[in-house]
Amino acid sequence: MTKQKNASGIRSLRFSALGVYLQGMKTALASRMAYRGDFIMSMFIMMVVEFAGPVITLIIYKNGASFPGWSQYEVLLLQGIFLLSRGISFPFFMGMVWNTIGRVQEGTFDLLLIKPRSILLMTLATSFDSEDLGKLIGGILLFRFALKKLPPQPLSHWISFFILFLFSLILMFAFGLFMAGLGIIWVGNYRIYDIFMSVMEFGMYPKSIFTKSFQSVLTYIIPVSLLASYPASALLGSVDKTVILALVSSIVFLLLGFLFYYRMVKNYTSAGG
Amino acid sequence: MKDRITKKENKPPRVFKTVIMTTYKENFAYRSQMAVSIFSQPVYFLVHYFIWRAIYQSRDQVSGFSFDQMILYFAVSSLIEFLNWDNSENILQRLIQTGQFITFQLRPVSHIYFSFLQKIGQRLLAFLIEVIPVMCFYILFGVRLIPAEPFWALISLILGFILSFLIRYTIGTLAFWFVKTAGISRAVVVLTSICSGAFLPLNLYPYGFQKFLFFLPFQFVSYVPVRVFIGKYELAGISMPIPHIVFIQAVMVIVMFLFNRILWYFGIKRFTGVGA
Repeated sequence: MTKQKNASGIRSLRFSALGVYLQGMKTALASRMAYRGDFIMSMFIMMVVEFAGPVITLIIYKNGASFPGWSQYEVLLLQGIFLLSRGISFPFFMGMVWNTIGRVQEGTFDLLLIKPRSILLMTLATSFDSEDLGKLIGGILLFRFALKKLPPQPLSHWISFFILFLFSLILMFAFGLFMAGLGIIWVGNYRIYDIFMSVMEFGMYPKSIFTKSFQSVLTYIIPVSLLASYPASALLGSVDKTVILALVSSIVFLLLGFLFYYRMVKNYTSAGG
Repeated sequence: MKDRITKKENKPPRVFKTVIMTTYKENFAYRSQMAVSIFSQPVYFLVHYFIWRAIYQSRDQVSGFSFDQMILYFAVSSLIEFLNWDNSENILQRLIQTGQFITFQLRPVSHIYFSFLQKIGQRLLAFLIEVIPVMCFYILFGVRLIPAEPFWALISLILGFILSFLIRYTIGTLAFWFVKTAGISRAVVVLTSICSGAFLPLNLYPYGFQKFLFFLPFQFVSYVPVRVFIGKYELAGISMPIPHIVFIQAVMVIVMFLFNRILWYFGIKRFTGVGA
């Protein structure tokens, strides 16, 4: 009886959304291991690439210049949070963008549509990008390095940081939905990434360096400031009231992302026209 | 008579023109992909503009650059990046990996020249779709895109264009030894952008690192053409007149070409394809 219960429990886990996703992850890792050397090299490079922003920061401060109101390690902490956010989102769900663009181009997107599960779940489950774990390692390293150089923060700061960081991931997911949706109608255009990456670049630096009008855009319209600037400010205990509107804006952004994605799936005509 | 007509049709310049125009037409089908730069590049530029504007609030100079010069540096460097971009290493790697490279061994055109002509065709389109609109944005933004010495700037630009191709093509040549070169390719691309001055002027780096970079070919891809455009070259405390640095750039192109040919000579011996 107990054995039967356990077996059905395992079965239900295997066929749950998480189970499907984990299976996809396992498959992706196994196939990537066919070229282990290249995988390790690529992962390392992914990590190094992410340090471009922090290197600029270090060089700026080494030359005696600075971002007004931010110390070198505070900026590095902000950029560490930015990398952490990318380090979680890129391997675990941002791969859906490449996956969608590639499948639509090859015509294999249809195969996901006929599966008896949600198209979004199937897209996510088949898009785990193990190489991007390099980004996560880079993010953890930079975050830790910056934290060590700054005074310890009270628990309340950490709690607000974690809440805002969760919203940072929500925003990343929304970006992913928009990009994947665009990938359905803009066939074979891998440069869709470029559009969003350029916008995300604003999130890698303190909000205060931008003009007031730009700050409004980055807080209320496309809340890129939530990617790192707000979580970093929360951890350092200097978050302002505009964060509430940014949170609301990110939820709206996510809902719009879902709407847009499913609208594009609906409009998908396949190769048959 | 017939022979003479055939010979005339196969003359190198005709082949060159055909490869360039064919690549141009092929890529024209994907012009919307290139057009993305019209949106993304101004956004990247704005980020840099704000970064440096904030930094220059507390000082007039950073490493010998005024604010206007710094903005000019980033504008010119991004335009050069558009012109220099190519993926010859990926194409060559794919050809070697799949064995399709063997078809090039049967053709009367050396693959390196064929690949270079493809790059010209592709970048010709990029010039119209990416460079000109982004250039217009910079001009409207108030960036003075006027080279200090137009002749030397053009020569340096051409040499940088050739050198960037040779670096990429040399990475592709490594595919004769490795099954997959995506990792190495990424590594060198990152190394190139860091060491070429594409995302930061090289004279902002620590002094020891600048000295090290002086002897590598990377600075000649982006940093040197930009400094020639601005009209003043300086790295690791070494300043020199513009014609001198352009001459060194030309020497580096020759050295890189010879290095590639040596690598190719040994690599081609390792190549095995179906029927070869």
